Amino acid sequence: MKRKRRNVAVIGSGMSHFSSHREEVNQPEMIHEAVVEALDDAGMTLDEVDCVLHGNMELFEMVHQPDMWHAIASGVWGKSGLRLTTGGTTGITLACAADNLVASGLHDVVLAIGFEKLQEGHTTGGITNMADPLWGRSIQTGALTGTTAQAVIDEFGEERAKHAAMKMRIIMDEHAMLNEKAHRRLGLDRQFIKEMADNSPPLVGELRMLHMCSQSDGACAVVFASEEKAEALGAAPAWVVDHETVHREETLMFSPEKTTMRVAAERMFTRNGITDPRRDIDVFEMYDPSAWWGLDWLREFLLLEGDEHLKMVENDEIRIDGAFPLNPSGGVQASNPIGATALVRVAEAAMQVRGVAGGHQVPKPVRRALASGFGGTLWTVLMLLSREKPVLGGHCDA
Amino acid sequence: MPDDKKAELIVSRQVLSIPQRFATGPIMGRFLAELLDNRRIMAVRAPGSRCLLPPREVDAVTMQEAVEWVEVGPEGTIRDFDVVYYASPDPLTGETRDVPYIICWVDLDGAGEGAPLWHLLDAPDPGKVRCGMRVRAVFNDERCGCMEDIRHFEIIEET
Repeated sequence: MKRKRRNVAVIGSGMSHFSSHREEVNQPEMIHEAVVEALDDAGMTLDEVDCVLHGNMELFEMVHQPDMWHAIASGVWGKSGLRLTTGGTTGITLACAADNLVASGLHDVVLAIGFEKLQEGHTTGGITNMADPLWGRSIQTGALTGTTAQAVIDEFGEERAKHAAMKMRIIMDEHAMLNEKAHRRLGLDRQFIKEMADNSPPLVGELRMLHMCSQSDGACAVVFASEEKAEALGAAPAWVVDHETVHREETLMFSPEKTTMRVAAERMFTRNGITDPRRDIDVFEMYDPSAWWGLDWLREFLLLEGDEHLKMVENDEIRIDGAFPLNPSGGVQASNPIGATALVRVAEAAMQVRGVAGGHQVPKPVRRALASGFGGTLWTVLMLLSREKPVLGGHCDA
Repeated sequence: MPDDKKAELIVSRQVLSIPQRFATGPIMGRFLAELLDNRRIMAVRAPGSRCLLPPREVDAVTMQEAVEWVEVGPEGTIRDFDVVYYASPDPLTGETRDVPYIICWVDLDGAGEGAPLWHLLDAPDPGKVRCGMRVRAVFNDERCGCMEDIRHFEIIEET
């Protein structure tokens, strides 16, 4: 990100209830739940919204231009609007675009909406058809892979690796139990870690059913406002400090380069004077599609070496009341309405900064929160939020 | 809303079946034609750079045009593999695949380590598959100019 012209704040957010089946509402009705809650939270009406952003992944519901169908529910009718779709990162791309639109001065208030109704299509079929049509569709297995599990097992041994991954899963579930909107609230019991790691049905290799994220129906809406607007409303804002997007060309997983997670984190931390992310960031909402990925990526995002990330799980450091809370919402393993999922990370991070996360509010003071998005060919998007208002022009690309 | 009301709501059930037709272009087109006509696996590379497989027009790392064709395989070494237990549908046929099946990444001989080919592996015992095993491509007798002209890879038994 280059220098900002204006500060931007998240001043409200809303989410529908997340569930495997929202068959009692259609798509616009479900989106409307999130929009109403976000506007109420921001203390404003639709009249004050200048622009509405809308995103999901069309191959899931197979509906062309769903923003048209949803216009009466999203509030875009008669306003400026954009539709964005960048795969799994869609939700946080919406947040980046909203930040850019307000920071640039084009709009004062932007409403970003991400949604998915996975029940209305076929999730693995949809993801499989996202593979390269010239060579990949017959081989792709949706978003399922066991290669990360195997790599962690190879590095740390089967017993320790499988224990850490299932412990991560259980901590996420303990967090989801605190979040009434979460989809899967299973009540997993810590004393059965080994039994669950051994007996949960395998999907691919050592990636088992329990490790994998859910397929959810749900919507999320977030209100981004200019500094003037945020302060006029007297809202408790979460300021958008910075965002970073890292793509890669490779369609496959092998590359001598660093992961996009590590590259994105290095860039963002360098620009913002974060020398020790575990100390300088108070809570992290990670797009963690499985317990294995969440475990492995903890090391990448926090720029750790060796087994530090395993220790953070083993010693409960990532619990909501730990030194570095990870996904107090329960994360993606609990709820995954894909087009909304990455926006939920931003919304949850902002709620923690604003102190409005309710039952899953981190008990320690939250000054800075990090949110990540994941998608496509292992892309990463990061967004940093803070309680303290950023100094304009404080950073630029080195 | 009470549950008995929910049950009354109609769910509209639809199935989309869409025949598609993709131009492959001169690079991927030649790769597929080599599978079809010659049972050969061809990679491309920019001068002095890594191989690209499946072939692409440009090496995105060096931003050079990939103008050299290199024959690779048909034998190679397993870089990594996944044993799939989840019965996902094959999107090209709509049929649910038999499980378990194995997908693998193969470093084909002559392709270096930067371009593993992603494909299916046929192995009698998935539990015995290991990284580093030697494999070879098995071609279909009847081919159509597509990735499935390679039916799968098979393990080369040590003699």
